[in-house]
Amino acid sequence: MTNEEIREQIEAIFESAIQHSKVTAHGELEVRVAVDQFLMLMAYLKQNRDYDFDYLSHITGVDYLDMDPDREFRFEVVYELFSSKKDHHIRVFVDLPEVEPTIPSVYHLWHGADFPERELYDMFGFIVMDHPNMKRLIMPEGWEGHPLLRDYPLTVEEIAFSHNPDHKSELIKTQEDVKVDPWA
Amino acid sequence: MGVTEQGLLERDKDTMTLNMGPQHPSTHGVFRVVLEMDGEIVKSAEPDIGFLHTGIEKTAENKRYIHCIPMTDRLDYLSPPQNNLAFCLTVEKLLGVKELPARADYLRVIMCELGRIGSHLVWLGTHALDIGAMTVFLYAWREREMILDLNEMISGVRMMTSYIRVGGVAKDATPEWLDGVRKFVDYFPAKVDEYESLLTNNPIWLDRTRGIGTMTKEEAVLWSMSGPVLRASGLNWDWRKRKPYSRYDEFNFEIPTQDHGDIYDRYLVRVEEMRQSREIIKQALDNLPDGPYKLEDNKISLPPRDTLHTSMESLIHHFKLVSDGVKVPKGSAYVPTEGARGEVGFYIVSDGSNTPYRVKLRAPSFMGIPGMCKMMEGAFIADVVAIIGSIDIVMGEVDR
Amino acid sequence: MGLMDEAVDAVETEINNLKLNAKEAIEQLGAEFSGAVYDSILTTKLGKVVGWAQKNALWPATFGLACCAIEMMAMANSRWDAARFGAEVFRASPRQADLMIVSGRVSQKMAPVLKRIYNQMPEPKWVIAMGACSSCGGIFNNYAIVQGVDRVVPVDVYVPGCPPGPEALLYGVIKLQEKILREAGSEQARQRVA
Repeated sequence: MTNEEIREQIEAIFESAIQHSKVTAHGELEVRVAVDQFLMLMAYLKQNRDYDFDYLSHITGVDYLDMDPDREFRFEVVYELFSSKKDHHIRVFVDLPEVEPTIPSVYHLWHGADFPERELYDMFGFIVMDHPNMKRLIMPEGWEGHPLLRDYPLTVEEIAFSHNPDHKSELIKTQEDVKVDPWA
Repeated sequence: MGVTEQGLLERDKDTMTLNMGPQHPSTHGVFRVVLEMDGEIVKSAEPDIGFLHTGIEKTAENKRYIHCIPMTDRLDYLSPPQNNLAFCLTVEKLLGVKELPARADYLRVIMCELGRIGSHLVWLGTHALDIGAMTVFLYAWREREMILDLNEMISGVRMMTSYIRVGGVAKDATPEWLDGVRKFVDYFPAKVDEYESLLTNNPIWLDRTRGIGTMTKEEAVLWSMSGPVLRASGLNWDWRKRKPYSRYDEFNFEIPTQDHGDIYDRYLVRVEEMRQSREIIKQALDNLPDGPYKLEDNKISLPPRDTLHTSMESLIHHFKLVSDGVKVPKGSAYVPTEGARGEVGFYIVSDGSNTPYRVKLRAPSFMGIPGMCKMMEGAFIADVVAIIGSIDIVMGEVDR
Repeated sequence: MGLMDEAVDAVETEINNLKLNAKEAIEQLGAEFSGAVYDSILTTKLGKVVGWAQKNALWPATFGLACCAIEMMAMANSRWDAARFGAEVFRASPRQADLMIVSGRVSQKMAPVLKRIYNQMPEPKWVIAMGACSSCGGIFNNYAIVQGVDRVVPVDVYVPGCPPGPEALLYGVIKLQEKILREAGSEQARQRVA
């Protein structure tokens, strides 16, 4: 099937839930779906034998705080799906609101979603429902904040290049940016 | 006392929790896994990552595109050119670059395939060392040093080359370097045979690898494994063939596959891949076209150095590119490429400025860890090390 | 005070006694000859001998963090051959090692682990910060990376580079050997095992 045919079929089945869909200049199929119909669409994409989207390539989140402050939804989640048997490729976008961004898990469809979904929670603070093991993945337990949010500071430190060890340790003690105190 | 059913049931309740890592010589970095053991058998394995979290994705949001390239080197530090390539291809896609000069693409291919061989050599050496074969380790590093010397010759650095840039490569290949590559190409096949003579029919190696850590084709797809793991399970999936980039369609090479999906098959696939990579390099050397080694569009790549003194326009372009960087049109893009470990790609969102708005690395090791822990279930404790080695994880790209 | 220290002290006392006893006998020898014997043989302290032995048998812990770990492995291989300097015996357990090569970036999550591994190493112990990241944070100045491993453990030698080549690391090892020999028998060396 061509991308255009898949796009038309999905549009016909999910109607208003598909907020936007297009085949880009590079020939890639992109679909933006409302979050309440998202799981239905994903299950359909996986289980329809004509599409055969059985391979999840990656999941990522985007925070549009700086780029477009007036955007209706602050967050976006991107799913990249391939077919292992056919030459199909689809990119699914889901918009999430700033308050309580919640998205259902696709772990039962693609087990490869295990880590990327935990990363969504860890790095962006999205709540992934029905994930079998929802906790922080990369940052330590008890870390405050979600680093990939645009309003999370990069936390640049002043580095002391000095041969005087006393001077250096003094400078470090006054640093309040250091989140975890390794001396403890 | 014989083993009764009741006894087995009681023993089931009595599991032991075993911590492995993050400082463990066989976890290939700082990977930690918590094993639930029933005697010698692994009941469940829970991975714990993040000990090498470097914040590269966040840092990239604050740097210009050209500054991101050295950081991509440090993600998958065993085959840096492939990360450079994935990043540059994505930026070029956003910039709307249709085609690069042929020489640029060929040089990129040579670097990437050298990187693949170098990466597989480290995998072979450490994997064999983990299972107990020390000699392979020393042999593999002997050849890797030759690749590192070639890297140093062309880019000035042994490992982190940053040679591939947006719009081409950093500088042209010298005749000495091409001679060096040719020498390596002629020298290498006999050495691959040597590794095989040490391992392929070695009874200890067969016992430790055959039928262990198996994954069927369906499971491998379900768990989003990629690269050699997928191909060892019988799926012929290679982005170099499936969606050729950098003129990979002009080369004649095979994609090795195996059927059983165990550790031994992954070993066979990777060893054959080294031969195929060598084949690609040989063809690239034979057919290396002349001409420019980067785009001649001075809005994307730097103008030649010697024109700066004579051409006002070049000077302005040079100044703009160095001080301000290239501005990338608004949009998002993803280009899958075939790295040494599988599908490597960057998902980049651009807001139209000279810094990326969001950079996400699709790392094969990161996606492979849940599947790897699935393989460990039911395996012996001694096989855990072999399974980790067979997936060939690099913690740099797992934790980013 | 460790066992080794007691032994050093005992031998030093013994040597001093010897020196006092042998003074007369030595003075009867020829002037230039007696000086040589007195300076070189009798005043050589055992601490120096111990230091000399330590410097030639550095056992690094297998502690690979990131990119630099690959170059650290290269150093142990035949081309660079760290065995020439007695530093090729990489020990998987920190309890058997006396040199920690911090090879790569140290994240906030890794810092407590690193500290713990350092504490597990027996004394005397030394630390080489290999590469820009472990020396000062390198190109990664952000929330995730500890800006220099010297905030967690005391560092003896910093090796610059990103990553430093095996030859640079070997130079670092040689510098550390010089430091061990210089410190040998002194108060600093004594504090290391206290």
